Amino acid sequence: MPIVELQNIRKVYDTKVAVEGLTLTIEPGTMFGLLGPNGSGKTSSIRMMIGMTVPDSGTVRLFDKPFARTLLHRVGYLPEERGLYKKMKVIDQLVFLGQLHGLDEATARKRSLAWCERMEITEAIGKKTEELSKGMQQKIQFIAALLHEPDLVIMDEPFSGLDPVNATLLMDTLVALRSEGKAILFSTHRMDQVEKLCDAIALISRGKLLLSGSMREIKSHYPRNRVQIVFTGDDSFLRHPGIVEAKNYSGIAEIKVQDEAVAQQVLAEAVARGTHINRFEVIEPTLEEIFIENVRASFGDAEAGGRVDA
Amino acid sequence: MHNTWLIAKREYLERVRTKGFIIATVLIPLLMGALVFGSAYMGSKSKTSSHIAVVTSDSALGTDLKHQLEGGKDSDMKVDLSQPSNETRAVLDAQLHDKSSSLAGYLWVTPPVIAGDRPSFTYTARSAGDIATQGAIESALGSVLMREHLESKGMAGSDIDALVAPVKVDTSASGNTTTAFFAAYTLFFLMYMVIMLYGMNTARSIIEEKTSRVFEVLLATIKPEELLAGKILGVGAVGLTQIGIWMIAAGALSSSSLAASLIGTTGHGLISATQIGFFVLYFVFGFLLYSSIAAALGAMTNSEQELQQLNMFLVLPLAFCMVMLFSIIRAPNSTLARVVSLIPFCSPLLMNFRISLTQVPAWEIWLSVVLMSATIFAILWVSSRIYRVGILMYGKKPNLPEILRWLKYS
Repeated sequence: MPIVELQNIRKVYDTKVAVEGLTLTIEPGTMFGLLGPNGSGKTSSIRMMIGMTVPDSGTVRLFDKPFARTLLHRVGYLPEERGLYKKMKVIDQLVFLGQLHGLDEATARKRSLAWCERMEITEAIGKKTEELSKGMQQKIQFIAALLHEPDLVIMDEPFSGLDPVNATLLMDTLVALRSEGKAILFSTHRMDQVEKLCDAIALISRGKLLLSGSMREIKSHYPRNRVQIVFTGDDSFLRHPGIVEAKNYSGIAEIKVQDEAVAQQVLAEAVARGTHINRFEVIEPTLEEIFIENVRASFGDAEAGGRVDA
Repeated sequence: MHNTWLIAKREYLERVRTKGFIIATVLIPLLMGALVFGSAYMGSKSKTSSHIAVVTSDSALGTDLKHQLEGGKDSDMKVDLSQPSNETRAVLDAQLHDKSSSLAGYLWVTPPVIAGDRPSFTYTARSAGDIATQGAIESALGSVLMREHLESKGMAGSDIDALVAPVKVDTSASGNTTTAFFAAYTLFFLMYMVIMLYGMNTARSIIEEKTSRVFEVLLATIKPEELLAGKILGVGAVGLTQIGIWMIAAGALSSSSLAASLIGTTGHGLISATQIGFFVLYFVFGFLLYSSIAAALGAMTNSEQELQQLNMFLVLPLAFCMVMLFSIIRAPNSTLARVVSLIPFCSPLLMNFRISLTQVPAWEIWLSVVLMSATIFAILWVSSRIYRVGILMYGKKPNLPEILRWLKYS
């Protein structure tokens, strides 16, 4: 049963096309990364998922049902631009937001206190929001999105502006939530986080979907054709006919081969020639490279008047 | 409904706890008290107490006039009597020009040419602007002359007193215009004050949520119309609490024996319980109606400055009501009055005003209530539309065609 199903959704603001024909599915227990450059339609897509705006065409399904506001009690949302009532005490604020999500006051209070402890901000409970640091405010909003134990957690740029310690704390929390079987969707620019955390991704640019699927699937589309070799001695193996491009930085060679099989031949040849190999690594394409390549292509094609097929 | 209640509750509690609210709630009744007691005190001191001279050859008239001016109802003057002679005028004129003299003016009585006619009076004052003294002299002369005339016709002093006593007409059975006017004015100023204070607060609170971006979390669970309705009710309840406290304070103030002894015992006390009921009903409706306009303004704007430019939309309907007040008081059952008092933006003031003036058919009252409710919901619907689209495209100030286009978005 998919948690989120977007079917060919489209949204136009006046003349600007924000989202065009977006289709994606999020399964339970997955960490889903929504990637894309600034202004690519990530936030617009998220807003349609939670019914803040309605798509001009296409359908949104949540928890295998057509979108309905009552389903929102099972969704936790952390917007990109954080907002809390400045003059309100942290605990009152959390209880209020919990109640809006359908909790009764006692439960909301109990859970708020437990979460504050878990997120290591117990000392902030009685303070007003305006007295807190930005990172702390972000943690509070993070808690607010999770108080009602949602089955779907949607977070727009959850780690931006956090120090590494707090970012790790949030990541660990998200991982724990995933292991409880919840679906988590987050958008980010930080590819290293996506690479570490996500099971599946969707890459959008200019409102259109460029890539989507599980991390392994996507990477398998990109050839593992780059090799880094750290060696001492004879470098004549670099003249192997299967090597397309080779750079030798005195003992560290970066080569590009025709296909994956060539890499093993190169290694065999180097060993045969008596070169001492310290390290031999077939490098996977990083998500960052895939991202940049695809986004560049989408912009280039668009400028050339072409269409992007993804 | 539950969400609206939560929003309203939060809004109410957060506002009532602020120092600003507590200070205003306590300070305004104190100022009101100071004003009431102060003006009562000033009033008691404001009897005309000028020093004048009366020049007459008729000593009976002179004495009567002196008696009237020195011990009258609202004058406490010092009067010198003198006989006319050649030097008198020169002496008095000199005194008027002398700065150290306290003489405010003199009254010259010229005896009538034909006996039985009225004498003629000339008052020369130090300052032409001393209207109070002049008024006091005129009214004193009037009653003295009448008394003299009646006495000359052979009427006894006690009969004259009985005749001269002021007449009171009891109009409480049909409601009286003074009371109605008083109620309408009170309502008008209360409404005006509350709308400017709390209507604008509703708008401000909406703008505040936009700038702090809290709305985005809220809208992920609740509908914009629930949010706006919650705001109106929450901020409204704060306004009503404050007004309620002020009213109780005012009531306590005006009924306290101290105030009564200072102001005098003739209070208004003529407003009936039904009138109070209608007053409250129309006040609440008017408040909700204007607050919803304010909410719409808040939904349209992004900053306090933009809001200030639009607040004429709150003031104009009120000003229109004020203008209509005068034609309604002349003919409370004319077609114009009936139509105008049914306009939802005017009903709170004008229908209530008509009710206090005349017998308004029940259906008209019901119709006005229905129209007001419908208008409130319509404004809420429209502003929640504008709100939802407006916040998603913040930063730019919308123009009218854009707002109209927003209504079509959902």
